[in-house]
Amino acid sequence: MLVEVLTRVAIVVGILLPVSLALFIGRERLERTIVELRPRLRICAPYLAVLGLVLILNRVMRQTAPNMGFHATELIRDIEGDFILIFQEISTPELTAYFSAIYVYGYAFLLIFPGVAYFAMSDTKTFRRLMAAYSLNYAIGVVLYILVIAYGPRNHTIFASELGVMLYEHSPQYQRLTREVNRSVNVFPSLHTSLSATVGIFAYYTRDSYPKWFVVATVIAVSVIISTMYLMIHWAVDVVAGLALAVVCVALANKIVGRWSYDDVRGRLTDLRRRLDR
Amino acid sequence: MKRNPTDPDDGVSRRSVLAAGAAGLSLSMSGCMDNVRSVVSRDGDEQLSLSILTVPTEDGRATAQIADHLEENLRTVGIDASTVIRSRSEFLEQSLIDGDFDIYVGRHPADYDPDFLYEALHSTYARANESGWQNPFGFASTLFDRRLEEQRRLDGDERRELFVDRSYNFLDTLAAEKPFDPICRPSEIRVARSDRFDGWDEDHRHLATRTGYLGLEPTDDDIERLTALVTDARPSRNVNPLSATVRERGTVVDLLYDSLGTVVYTDEGIEVASWLAESWTEVDRDEIGHPDDESNGDSKTDDEPDGDGKTDDESSGDKTPDDSDDKTTLEITLRDGCTFHSTDDDDDGEPVTARDVAFTYRFLEDTTLGQSSTPAPAPRYRGQTSAVDEVVVADDADDTLWLTVDGGRDVAERALTVPILPRHIWLPELEDRISDFDDFSVEQGEWSLVTTDSVEPIGSGPYRFESQSERSYLHLERFEDHFTLREDLEEDHLRGPLVDELRFSVEPNNQGAISRVENDSADLMSSSIDAHAIGRIPEDHDDVVRLEDDSWTFYHVGFNMRRTELGFRKAVCRLIDKEWIVENIFYDHAEPLATPVTDAWTPDRLAWDGEDPETPFIGTDGDVNVEAAHAMLESEGYTIDEDGAVLRRG
Repeated sequence: MLVEVLTRVAIVVGILLPVSLALFIGRERLERTIVELRPRLRICAPYLAVLGLVLILNRVMRQTAPNMGFHATELIRDIEGDFILIFQEISTPELTAYFSAIYVYGYAFLLIFPGVAYFAMSDTKTFRRLMAAYSLNYAIGVVLYILVIAYGPRNHTIFASELGVMLYEHSPQYQRLTREVNRSVNVFPSLHTSLSATVGIFAYYTRDSYPKWFVVATVIAVSVIISTMYLMIHWAVDVVAGLALAVVCVALANKIVGRWSYDDVRGRLTDLRRRLDR
Repeated sequence: MKRNPTDPDDGVSRRSVLAAGAAGLSLSMSGCMDNVRSVVSRDGDEQLSLSILTVPTEDGRATAQIADHLEENLRTVGIDASTVIRSRSEFLEQSLIDGDFDIYVGRHPADYDPDFLYEALHSTYARANESGWQNPFGFASTLFDRRLEEQRRLDGDERRELFVDRSYNFLDTLAAEKPFDPICRPSEIRVARSDRFDGWDEDHRHLATRTGYLGLEPTDDDIERLTALVTDARPSRNVNPLSATVRERGTVVDLLYDSLGTVVYTDEGIEVASWLAESWTEVDRDEIGHPDDESNGDSKTDDEPDGDGKTDDESSGDKTPDDSDDKTTLEITLRDGCTFHSTDDDDDGEPVTARDVAFTYRFLEDTTLGQSSTPAPAPRYRGQTSAVDEVVVADDADDTLWLTVDGGRDVAERALTVPILPRHIWLPELEDRISDFDDFSVEQGEWSLVTTDSVEPIGSGPYRFESQSERSYLHLERFEDHFTLREDLEEDHLRGPLVDELRFSVEPNNQGAISRVENDSADLMSSSIDAHAIGRIPEDHDDVVRLEDDSWTFYHVGFNMRRTELGFRKAVCRLIDKEWIVENIFYDHAEPLATPVTDAWTPDRLAWDGEDPETPFIGTDGDVNVEAAHAMLESEGYTIDEDGAVLRRG
């Protein structure tokens, strides 16, 4: 069942990706990318390696981390009350289908596309920043998951009676997917939110290069963020925390990347040597 | 009737609200908030608040929905209720081991015999603060204790009469005192593939016990594996037969381990029939010679772990001659030639002897075998073993022993249903854990031997442990040497493991499980199907059968009697609409209850008759009548302020 879902995600992204590459990036950029593939890869490789490492660590830690955090479900509900229920009032089967698709497929596409798009830009700085921001999101996220034990709204009693129309009830395979990726106590913060917002912020940065993507990314990112609450996977508090995490990660990524670029380091070293020589 | 004397203050104490926040930081944070609240309203007009401990919806949707119903009604009448959600095993840990709750909503495993009320409510367990389903409520009443002991001594019709006919018995006391309030007993419905296996609907079969998995005949010689789906992932992680938190019921333990007798379901009712024991007969206690004789004592002192152990503590029973009338002694003959599963594929397993049996009872009674400063009984099987007075092994035969219980034959036979553990596995495990003899003490129910998943799951049962993968599956293989596979057996209930492999595969989603059975990727939904998904069972599928078993488990609200007083408990019970719950949460696949025992033991006056005879719901169709509820609370001495909030007393 899990394989089935993953295959479906792969197929959907596999179709969307080439179409959007043609639409948003354009032939010229792609051709140049192929020519400059090697040098670009050389510069970007460390960032990809770090991201891969963080992802592996993230997965291992989520699966095996001991129960050492504090239980926060009650606190979260104390803070926001029944806010999440407003999404139930606007719920329709069509909206449910839309948000379910966005949550699974839209999100996967949203994260993968900018990776390709920014790699296709002649200056790889944006790409490196994006990879650094992804890594930071996952790294900080997993620490928070371990520290904060909270069940999402769908597991909370108060919503037990409302679950009739929701995603999982009709498609148990999605439940399987999210369970595989996530333990049900990993809800604070919402990584769906923070990563979508991260992509959104980058899309804003690059709006001059990719104006159409900026619009599409904003629509998908906002939809993903709403879907986490609409599908009762996350509390509003998780979403707010996710937005904050996104801002922090992007800011950190901007600081880190560029400061210690290869040229930069070499420049400083020569600088230093010169000073020492004097 | 005497109430719990340790509860001087009214309603739910402030401490309980503090504690409701549970462990770590959340405790201190909710503590801060509570402090703020109480500073604002120090003059005593603080709103009554309490926490409801329950599980997340993925671990028990009906449980969560009942908690939701209760929380909503409590809030409606002006009590500040909030649910506290913990995973299945954390829920059991917090309610059964830590006793850290105001009230909880859960499912009680109960038992086929009403004697389970003994461990559920006897004051011994409240005082000792025991882990497990032993009196988590802290209920303590001497009079009630005496009634519980009385029902143990009686047998047959006399015993039944005590439950059903006596004008006011302890079931009435239970309904009046409310240490817990039974809500309903769910139907146990499952689905199975009839094209791959025959025999699902035979008599004596119950899929929550070993009887459900034995005697199932593959319809084709090629069929080597039975895939059974479970919604609960815990068996894929830990199959320790002693742990109180990794299971409610013991299906897997039942298959890995044999017990002396096995529970069978007949048209006349439920009885304990021969299993690992070939037979047992009631004998006069004097016939077994002198139990305290040196020669008989030998086998027990052998069980002392190595080292400077303390003296054998067999002094638990008060063995005065005059109460020997109330005891029952069974002479038990073990089946010939049974062995435990081998630890190594090449080896033959160790034989199952009377000494293993004696060890088991002694070990369950105290898992440290007297080495700890205070005894540490196994958190499970407490009710079954608590009645056991002594187990004596015959000097001259490996297969004979005498088991004496403080009680009648019913109770003696119930004691025969515990899993027999191999001495050669558990004794070394215990010895390994006793590091320092001078200062060895353990926390009952929490120490490593009863919680670990590292003790080899070696039993003598019809299936042996093969492998497991966390959150994915538990794989068992047929034990070829099991006695049920012998040819010369005559009794109907002695069915053997006919399928080579039995795999319990984790499928958390009920509907997903049903469709997997439907499209033939599994043979059985082994967990009973949640009420909300029962409608998804295909009606006219040729190869899928719907199975319905007797049930004795029940949903209930448990009260911490150390924190709640009677008037409050009754008020809470009157805010639960059991009829509505059965209709809307269980879609009528459950029966509402006023008393926790099975129908055969229920007196007419406590039988369900449209409403709870003791604490009828105060409202209609699940909605509480606020005015009436306020009047009720006021008559219990609570004040309602102008905003409709119920205030704490005094």
